[in-house]
Amino acid sequence: MNINLDEIFDYTSFNVDRDPHIILDENLCKVCDQRYCVNACPARCYAWSEEEQKMTFVHDGCLECGTCYVVCEKKAFTRWRYPRGGFGVSYRMT
Amino acid sequence: MKRTYDAIVVGAGPAGSSAALTMARSGLNVALLERGSFPGEKNMFGGVLHRMTALEEVFPDFWNQAPLERHVVQKNLSFITEGSCFNVSFDSEEADRPPYNGYTIFRPRFDHWLAGEAVKAGATLLTRSTVDDVIIENGKVAGVTLLRDEAQLRAPVVIAADGVLSFTAKKAGLRSAEFSPSNQGVCIKALIDMTKEVIDDRFGLVLNQGASKEIVGCTSGVRGGSFLYTNYDSLSLGMVLELASLNEKGKTPYDLLNAFMQQPQMAKLLKGGRLLEYSAHLVPKGGYDMKPELVGDGIMVAGDAAAFCIVTGLNLEGINLAAQSGVLAGKAAIEAHRQRDFSKSSLTVYRKMLEESFVLKDLKLYKRAPQMLHNDRIYSQYPELVCSMMDEIYRIDGKPKDTMTRMLLSKVKKTVGLKNLMADVYSGWRAL
Repeated sequence: MNINLDEIFDYTSFNVDRDPHIILDENLCKVCDQRYCVNACPARCYAWSEEEQKMTFVHDGCLECGTCYVVCEKKAFTRWRYPRGGFGVSYRMT
Repeated sequence: MKRTYDAIVVGAGPAGSSAALTMARSGLNVALLERGSFPGEKNMFGGVLHRMTALEEVFPDFWNQAPLERHVVQKNLSFITEGSCFNVSFDSEEADRPPYNGYTIFRPRFDHWLAGEAVKAGATLLTRSTVDDVIIENGKVAGVTLLRDEAQLRAPVVIAADGVLSFTAKKAGLRSAEFSPSNQGVCIKALIDMTKEVIDDRFGLVLNQGASKEIVGCTSGVRGGSFLYTNYDSLSLGMVLELASLNEKGKTPYDLLNAFMQQPQMAKLLKGGRLLEYSAHLVPKGGYDMKPELVGDGIMVAGDAAAFCIVTGLNLEGINLAAQSGVLAGKAAIEAHRQRDFSKSSLTVYRKMLEESFVLKDLKLYKRAPQMLHNDRIYSQYPELVCSMMDEIYRIDGKPKDTMTRMLLSKVKKTVGLKNLMADVYSGWRAL
């Protein structure tokens, strides 16, 4: 038994909105010396590229758990809200 | 779109639907808002549904009506290390008879059912309705706006039951702008497909009996714990990990969960299973001291939004507190309508009722539990100590034995230290 997040869309359903519900101020991520979001996000939505010195957030597989909202040291969100009604993660059982 | 109601409930989870049900049954015109396309769509938990006395008043045979998986008769507490497991098990006939003491459930089904009951009682359920802002007039909460159709919903009283991050409570100025990562845990969960027969055989269950297992250890030293619950024909397995500790250790939740599932004794229990769904959510685990202001002018806060959650290591309570607080908030709103007074001082009756009920009594009783659990020794050294002690007790290898006391003392000295052990026993005793 193993959870492979590359296959998250095979297990968990999403109605992905075009409009992201979380938007980052990447300049703040750039000067952040912790970047807790990268490890703490249980859906691995955050990725830091050392080469490009850039934080990428992909909202498609976001489980809307709230972890990034709490661990972010820089409060680097220009937007952090839940997806518009009917969009986002859609649990069937769990 | 502009509408006016007697009351607005934000969030159709256990707290919100209980509040809406209570108010609708007494004839109030209630709007129940849910951001998902159906109630329960966004909801997961890492727990057992404990007995809900608040709802038993409405559903005397709750267990025949609600969509439940199994009732829990067997409770287990396990300490695990990388290669061993020490298990304490309690199995009771008493828990096998109604009113049952707890159930395993699927939130998308259970929450959907409970919201449906509120609708049957007359509440108006508005799905796909994410609240954008709180309408404040003359310093009083007067309604909410939605993230669609420029909708404005107005009511003299709003109940914020919108979960752990409660932006409704925040926008009404009732909760602080920031959360401490040491007051929040992230719960991650894998739902695992397994036939009923295999589950029954593996866990020693018959008919609709269920088992729950709380597990300490094997979290790479991260403060947190794991759980395993039997559903009808699946297992719920997961972890609750404190965010501050996760950050300190630089671990990812899914790597910890994978290592846990591959731990030999756990792997045996999961053998042959197949992953069905993966989910995650925050748990407000800070206890009594982290709760926001519960009442404001025209607003009350219930459930996770009010941080009504009890984490002691032995029990994890949330939905029962949510339902109870929802019912009480509903009663306070009914009383406010009778008095035609929705001010903070009028709604303070909600807080009083909470103080008289098990919600705030138990939260206060376990006030020290979060501090007690903020102790790294619990998550690595104690499981190691217990398992190595058991290993030595059971090991017959031709070497002369020591007395148990001496064995324990020498192990304690080598690991946690005697002073720490005594301090931890005292703190555990005080907290629980």
